[in-house]
Amino acid sequence: MLKGSVMVTFPFDMKGSYMYFRILEKDQVSTFIEGLAHVYEVVAPVMRGGGYSFEQVRDGSEVELDYPLTIIPPKKYFVRPKECLFRYDSHSGALDETDHEVSPRVLFGVHACDINAILMTDKIFLGDYVDPYYKARRENTLIVGVSCMPIPTCMCNAWGTGEVSQGCDLFLTDLGDRYFVTCQSFEGAHILDTFAKTHEASAEDKQALEDHIREFSQAFREPVDTTQLQLLFDAKYNDPMWETIGDPCLSCGACSAVCPTCYCFDVVDELDADGVAGCRIRCWDSCLDSQFAEVAGGHDFRPTRASRVRYRFYHKFWAYPSRYGKMLCVGCGRCDVACKVDINPRRIVEALREGESK
Amino acid sequence: MKKTHVAVDSSQAYRELKQNPYRPWPARITSITKLTDTETLFEFRLIDHRVRERFNFNAGQFMELSVFGVGEAPISISSAPSKKGFIELCVRNAGAVTGALHKMRCGDIVGLRGPFGRGFPFEEMKGHDILMVAGGLGIAPLKSLINHIHDERHEFGKVTILLGARNPDEILFRQQFDMWRHRDDFDLIMTVDQPDETWDGEVGLVTRLFDQITVDPLKTIGVICGPPVMYRYAIDEMRKKKLSVDRIYMSFERRMKCGIGMCNHCGIGHQYACIDGPVFNYWEAMNLQEAM
Repeated sequence: MLKGSVMVTFPFDMKGSYMYFRILEKDQVSTFIEGLAHVYEVVAPVMRGGGYSFEQVRDGSEVELDYPLTIIPPKKYFVRPKECLFRYDSHSGALDETDHEVSPRVLFGVHACDINAILMTDKIFLGDYVDPYYKARRENTLIVGVSCMPIPTCMCNAWGTGEVSQGCDLFLTDLGDRYFVTCQSFEGAHILDTFAKTHEASAEDKQALEDHIREFSQAFREPVDTTQLQLLFDAKYNDPMWETIGDPCLSCGACSAVCPTCYCFDVVDELDADGVAGCRIRCWDSCLDSQFAEVAGGHDFRPTRASRVRYRFYHKFWAYPSRYGKMLCVGCGRCDVACKVDINPRRIVEALREGESK
Repeated sequence: MKKTHVAVDSSQAYRELKQNPYRPWPARITSITKLTDTETLFEFRLIDHRVRERFNFNAGQFMELSVFGVGEAPISISSAPSKKGFIELCVRNAGAVTGALHKMRCGDIVGLRGPFGRGFPFEEMKGHDILMVAGGLGIAPLKSLINHIHDERHEFGKVTILLGARNPDEILFRQQFDMWRHRDDFDLIMTVDQPDETWDGEVGLVTRLFDQITVDPLKTIGVICGPPVMYRYAIDEMRKKKLSVDRIYMSFERRMKCGIGMCNHCGIGHQYACIDGPVFNYWEAMNLQEAM
């Protein structure tokens, strides 16, 4: 994925193993991060104001790898909350696109659900049309995943997004005093070999990994039944449940802001004080916003809160999978935490299944 | 997903030329024709000759029009693909961008990017009778198709155009269509809801004109474009004339912000008006939630 500025040498001996497994002692993690920080911008979860947040770090001891959930997902490093696409001169129409420096970056300590979410937004931004801004950042970012333990709002077991077999560069699985490291890309193996002191995984480590997997799967709340969800959605598209669940929506858009798979955006112009030069801005948007589907002249294709809530879930559970074969939800549970009126995927799926229409 | 009709991929040239699909190309306003109180026909010429020479499109596709400092708006192309070098957009003064455009003068510079979307299946339409129903501003994208058919008139059977507006002053391109009423290669019928003393055409909704026409359902393709309320009634009339659902084409209006299937503002059910549409046939549209 990433070239970075290190010389790529052949770093290790494969020793006949079909995958490159290593063991990283926990007391070595700090050194690893600080080593990386010499070459890359390292972004990792840290404690900020009572919550966890992905921030740039230089000091490895700041990093909290054993975190439940960050408030904002790492999508902010690919689809910026607000960014200038280009600057223009409104008189001549001359454009300046040069203001896009992308520094090589390592996202360190990303949960499996968030990595899967990035793979889902890749389909949107790197499809038939390629978004050059997204692509530049994506290609200059290495992702180091880390295992987690489910908290009550987690439901990645329902969507199959609790693991990453391909898609990140390194994945660290917490085995108590050490990490079991799966190298998923050459660049991942390379940074591990260059900046970290690791040793080979023994049979005992693999046994511990199995134990971890068992513990992980048993830590979930009762799973949500997602069988034939698209058909159910068709059957209940005009069900009163949408009014019941959707009408209390505050249209605040908090769920979209914290959702790792929500990628909708708005494009607006801003002018400098001279009234001549300016920039075209792209910023996060939410389909729950009352003007989202309005056209010139005022006709609104989704005028009610309930219709907008239904559209949000229709897009996640019907529209995206019909195109890309996967549900556009990774079960991270952030919207569950953010929503003040208790609208979340778990409730929607349960309502679809059980006919909640009280 | 199987597409029942595929646009000529003019975006290929576009992609080679522009690495950045968000980049508008400067264009100069070359002519401004006021059509009604709120609608104006603007003609643009792309300034960069490399872009201009490689620019081609299908009737039914749209452009993203930038008024720098104000923003962008999606506008369907009104000129025929055969008219090279210039792009005509029929714009209603309805929002910030279109309002700012209406204050501009010939020679001023705007930005254009596109063309985007899937237009009318022109090649598939050849050899058929065409029945078009347009209401109000809906004639803007159809004008491109009408002119394109006009350029290759011998390829088509009977061409019938039913055109409706609220009152005679709101008929777009009225002068041109007034003359066309007397042509024998196009059957054009105009109607208004509220006639004035100068009006000598039909009175009433555009759907009432179906009584006056005969349609061979086996060789006719229907095309509809107009305000959202018009679609259902026009489709009903076409179905009464026994047109097959997959032979009724319609163009949808949505607020495409990016034009390239990313921003999600133009989502209709599981499709995007900007890359899957804006032209859909009725079979596709009836399977889209919230299409009409």
